[in-house]
Amino acid sequence: MSNDAMQAQFAAAQARAAAAVGCERAVLPSGLTVLCRTMPGYSSVHAIYATAFGSIHRAFTLDGKPVALPAGTAHFLEHKMCETPQGDSFSFYAKTGASANAFTSYDRTCYLFSATQKIDENLDILLGMVGKPWFTKATIAKEQGIIGQEIKMYDDSPDWRLLNALFRCLYREHPLNDDIAGTVESIAQLTPQLLYSCTRAFYAPSNMVLSVAGRITLDQAVAACKRNGLYRKRAAHEVVWDIPAEDGPIPQHEAYFQMPVNKPCFGVAYREPAADPRDLKRRLLLDMVSDLVVGGLTGLYRKLYDGGLVNPEFSGDFIAVRGACAVAFTGESDTPRQVADMLQAEIERIRREGVDPEVFTLVKNQMYGQLLGDVEGVEDAAEEAAAACLRGCSLADEIAALAELTVDDANALLRTALREENRAYVQIDPQESAS
Amino acid sequence: MERKQLAPGVFITTLDASKFNRCRITIHLRFPALRQSATDTAVLPLVLERGYAACPDMTALSRRLAQLYGADLGVDLSSAGTDRVLSADICGIKDAYALAGENLTDAYADIVFGTIFDPYLVDGVFDAEAVRIETETQARRLEAEFNSKRLYCVRQARRKFFGDSPAGIELGGYPGELIHVTPATLKAEYDRILANASIDVMVQGADEDRVAGLLLQKLQGMPRTPQPFAPPMGMPQTPVRHYKEEIPGLTQAKLCMLFTNGDIPDPPSVSILRVAMSVLGASATSRLFRNVREKRSLCYYCGSAAQRATGVMMIDSGVEPGREEEAEAAILKEWEDLKTGPLTQEEVDDCRRGLLSGMDALEDSLAALESWYYGQITRGEPLYPPSYGKVLTSAVKLDEVRQALQGYHYAVGYTLTAQPGTQGKGGADDVQ
Repeated sequence: MSNDAMQAQFAAAQARAAAAVGCERAVLPSGLTVLCRTMPGYSSVHAIYATAFGSIHRAFTLDGKPVALPAGTAHFLEHKMCETPQGDSFSFYAKTGASANAFTSYDRTCYLFSATQKIDENLDILLGMVGKPWFTKATIAKEQGIIGQEIKMYDDSPDWRLLNALFRCLYREHPLNDDIAGTVESIAQLTPQLLYSCTRAFYAPSNMVLSVAGRITLDQAVAACKRNGLYRKRAAHEVVWDIPAEDGPIPQHEAYFQMPVNKPCFGVAYREPAADPRDLKRRLLLDMVSDLVVGGLTGLYRKLYDGGLVNPEFSGDFIAVRGACAVAFTGESDTPRQVADMLQAEIERIRREGVDPEVFTLVKNQMYGQLLGDVEGVEDAAEEAAAACLRGCSLADEIAALAELTVDDANALLRTALREENRAYVQIDPQESAS
Repeated sequence: MERKQLAPGVFITTLDASKFNRCRITIHLRFPALRQSATDTAVLPLVLERGYAACPDMTALSRRLAQLYGADLGVDLSSAGTDRVLSADICGIKDAYALAGENLTDAYADIVFGTIFDPYLVDGVFDAEAVRIETETQARRLEAEFNSKRLYCVRQARRKFFGDSPAGIELGGYPGELIHVTPATLKAEYDRILANASIDVMVQGADEDRVAGLLLQKLQGMPRTPQPFAPPMGMPQTPVRHYKEEIPGLTQAKLCMLFTNGDIPDPPSVSILRVAMSVLGASATSRLFRNVREKRSLCYYCGSAAQRATGVMMIDSGVEPGREEEAEAAILKEWEDLKTGPLTQEEVDDCRRGLLSGMDALEDSLAALESWYYGQITRGEPLYPPSYGKVLTSAVKLDEVRQALQGYHYAVGYTLTAQPGTQGKGGADDVQ
């Protein structure tokens, strides 16, 4: 095949891929962004109504007045949103057969349902519930019991405790330091007034996105917004919110503690300069860097796995939110310190010798396949589109940016990233009397 | 939809996948579990997943899959009553999205069949180094069970419940027996599986004739005596047995309650069990969710599940330490109320709607669709689409729900709780 023919084939496949991840978009006069991926032949619809408000939103000014929130507020609010004066939203969904849920992350809160029928009714439940918050002292007190149980459940999770400890080593002040759900004590400080301040500030349509996918059209989604008072322009509150990036040395390089586990769990994390979420190139590179260093295609992974030094799930990931960015590797090992040293040595070697171009191309291939696979199901299609929108881009932008990445870009990133001086190490040891 | 027989104990089923970006080929081998070779059975998938004759190196195989745009290859072992199912599946993007016009689907079939039928052997047995590495990996996995307290509690309860019954043979094998796994014992177990297994291949988005041809080619000359599926069984009714394990530093207690249906010849249908579980504890409209979690805040999670093939019903929950008995009593009360108290059509319909909607949605996922049809195969049912599953679910009557729940007897309660004085308070402060 000639070079031109190969390029044409590549461009055609890429165009098909862009179409396969594409979706329609409308920004309503209210400021609400509506995304719709109509999926012919599908039976179900997934809808996600998301706000850029998560656990790291802890201090802001609302119409000039400062508001300070205890840890766990966004997550608490998520639980309370499901309750209305007429009853629990789950009981409304029970009448339509929809499966509903909600979740809170560091920088967003999402309410969602999956359904195959009565889609308009389900959209009305979703948009009505989030659009008309209702909080009382009594219902807040009741929820504190359930969330207290949830906090305790996560307390027994070594993975969760490890991640929280790593963030505390990397940051002095950043709200990543606190658990998404907060503590039993912090959520005890919540009042209806505080929760209403949050909804006024962050549940305004201009701060939200409605993303739907499956057997649904954009017109149907927009009509639902109109029925629920989310179409017309409205006066917005003035909200000022930011988290400054931290520089200087990281506050703590190492931490050790015990839990009822029977094998040491460990984590290595690197603080990186906070990045603009719309900087797709940097985001994709940070996403792939752990695979380039110790992913399943690398020699280091093979050495660790075959040597029995780590569990098969040992892997890396990255997180980027306002004012913070980190790459973290976590796993279990009988010799965790040795693994951390081998990891650092490999990073330094790659920094000196450059990323293996073959591994780079293969990791790119994997990410391309994953992007296409991610939008095959209605849930992922709606959720990935919403997440991209909150980051200020689209999935098609991500496919295009991925195609542009070169091994030189990866080498440039590694010249400054994953530096030992910005590294924190946390180890959880088995509690002495645990079995 | 048709499950076509290609040879004795060898079947192929093709499912429509035209609307998906990816395609998938799955092969299931169902065979009787044996106590004496349980640990070999558990290690086998790990060794098979490392590579096969044409691509023996684990990293080379990972790179081959990455070349195929990150195709996913999985080899797993699961239980089906007292049988085991060794499954291999591969899922990757369709040829239309290949950037260089590659034939991806043929490559997928070669890899998944190679993994199962052409393992990498050295002198007629598995590679000694691969066996050493993977027995160590399995040892680490078995050890790690304790780190997830919810899983650990459920498994401990099941161990007490099933005891020495064939259904109690450990899926992950036995830590003390890993040392006895050798390249030769593993090869013997592999040969036993291939000889005895009933083989089902599920094809989604790939050419059925090509897959069938390749399958028959692989099976040519192989000595086979496929065994029938094991019938459903149940543990006999016994007085309730309670177990309590104290763990220092635990923050949330776990309670797992297991119930038996007894050894009855004809357990309730899967449709009845689905509706019964949805009403009891498997949905957000269930009694356990609404009353034990939401009204009484006794548990963060409290859910029920039933397994027809082994006649067991399980309720597991995360509870405040010290309130385990209160939670157990509250759960038993909800179960008793459903057995003997009022149950309205509206309540059952509210729970049923979610199940019906879920069945509609099965058509939108390659994996869910495959699992739906293979589930019918494992139960020995004729294949029917999710739409007929809805008909069966809609036909379940209130009395059938009640009778299904009445059929269970509480057998084992297993509690994991904090050692007195060591309980975490919630919101750990590990790094100041």
